[in-house]
Amino acid sequence: MIMFFLGFSFLLPFLIMILSSFKETTFAALSPLFWIPNDPSLNNFIYLFRNDNFLRWIFNSVVITIIPVFSQMFFAGLLGYIFARKQFFGREFVFWTFMAVIMIPPQLLIIPKFIMFSKFGWINEYQSLIVPELWAIMGVFLVRQFMQGIPLELDEAARMDGANDFQVFRKIYMPLAFPAIATVGTFAFVSNWNDLFQPLIYMTNEKMYPITVGLASTLNKEGNFGIEMAGATVSFIPTFLIFLFFQKYFTEGIQLSGLK
Amino acid sequence: MEKVIVNKTQAPLGHEKKIKPPLIMRIKSEWKKNSLVYIILVPVLIHFTIFQIIPFVYSFILTFLNYRIIGTSEFVGLRNWSQLFQDKIAIKSIWNTVLFSIYYIVPTMALGLILALIIKSGIAMTKFFKGVFFLPVVTSFVVVAGIWEWLFSGTQSGFINYLLSFFGVEPQLFLSDSSQALLVLAGLSIFKVSGSTMIYYFAGLQSIPKDMYEAAKIDGASTFKSFWMITFPLLKPIHFYVLIITTIGSFQIFDSAFLLTGGGPNFSTSTIVYYLYTIGFTNLNFSYAAVLSYVLFAIILVISLIQRKYFGKDQGLY
Repeated sequence: MIMFFLGFSFLLPFLIMILSSFKETTFAALSPLFWIPNDPSLNNFIYLFRNDNFLRWIFNSVVITIIPVFSQMFFAGLLGYIFARKQFFGREFVFWTFMAVIMIPPQLLIIPKFIMFSKFGWINEYQSLIVPELWAIMGVFLVRQFMQGIPLELDEAARMDGANDFQVFRKIYMPLAFPAIATVGTFAFVSNWNDLFQPLIYMTNEKMYPITVGLASTLNKEGNFGIEMAGATVSFIPTFLIFLFFQKYFTEGIQLSGLK
Repeated sequence: MEKVIVNKTQAPLGHEKKIKPPLIMRIKSEWKKNSLVYIILVPVLIHFTIFQIIPFVYSFILTFLNYRIIGTSEFVGLRNWSQLFQDKIAIKSIWNTVLFSIYYIVPTMALGLILALIIKSGIAMTKFFKGVFFLPVVTSFVVVAGIWEWLFSGTQSGFINYLLSFFGVEPQLFLSDSSQALLVLAGLSIFKVSGSTMIYYFAGLQSIPKDMYEAAKIDGASTFKSFWMITFPLLKPIHFYVLIITTIGSFQIFDSAFLLTGGGPNFSTSTIVYYLYTIGFTNLNFSYAAVLSYVLFAIILVISLIQRKYFGKDQGLY
């Protein structure tokens, strides 16, 4: 019973969001139960998709999300393998430097990075949100932990058959560590798609906003609540789909790292 | 665990050293053995230096400068740091952040534990409910804040005020009341994060051996008693871990203050990061913003060090 009550409370905001996206109404004219469906219309969505900015925002979000997702999976896999299984000079030093740097809050780096990117000419360019996110320490840590649990015998057997490092990685570690690598991908998706703070600072031109900053710019504007909620719904759909298909990796990965 | 691996692979290395081939040969064999390491690690380390180390150091240097966007910056010593102690809004923002943590941490942990217990109890559709509770975690702040803005709108048309009216409570101002706004923001974060604390607790609950409960049952302990005597104390490492990560998260709170209140009313929701943002990117005082970012760093560093001290030894969780 409690379960259904809590479940309902958790779902209600999402229900209200989706239902109100089919209503044409302004914020001031809302009544408490306005979202109960009668006379739904698609006009809010039609309005949004006729709006050039909105489509551009979605496109921007896709660009700054997709590239880091695949890049982070690739590097987390390779670096995880290197730190789990290779012997080289300075391995421990480099790894523990990485682990120490995790403690630096990203907000600390934002001001020097802004100054740096201004000099690079990266303000209002995709690079500012893509290049720094090409790999992530947390992902390396996660994959390394996972790969340390893979039996060494498999590795040795493959080397007997004449496989080189990259082949061992490709044929043995990557497939076996796929759950960890997929977790890195899902985390990267959520953190980049949902990021508000960084694009808010690096993107000053409306055309370059990702959907988060774009939607934020329409909030608080005494605008049309239905349109706001339609925008929120559209931006929510990709995260929802990713979540639906990869839920397992989210919940497994969250135990290994710490998504806030 | 690490030690074992080191020993295993170091055995052949020792052999090579005994023979001591000429340097070029040794470099060659090292390259043959570890070329992948160098090909990947060198660019990664360059990237790491540019995007992590240099900004970190440069930010510290900034705190001693009067940084000018146009023209040359001058060295001002500790002036920016001393400004911090006279800045009432900065101190208020730090205090607000602490208050926010107080409002947010315990409810998030408690709700997470309750959700985990519910899911663990194995009612039908467990997987579905797990998903429902976790959904806000992956949803962007912008989406949740958009709904929150209306749910907690300070007029009679707001949904929460509507619900309160059934209990005879007068409409509350919520986001426009300086004593309530921070609570509403904490509520938003509780809603958004307790799904992830649920997952930690769920993992912890699964590691408690079943026979402990059976033994308690034989001794006639009630469900409630076995929770207080067995479950709760055995979850101690999880409590601690969750406490640390929610605390670190709470000090970084920005999105909801930016989206819903803009720090107001009367600076009552101005958090450290929000204030840093206004100083840096509204007032364009980068040097002073860098000082604030170091205050944030110092707080998080202390929390992280406590965590390291506690978890450094044996916890497999981290």
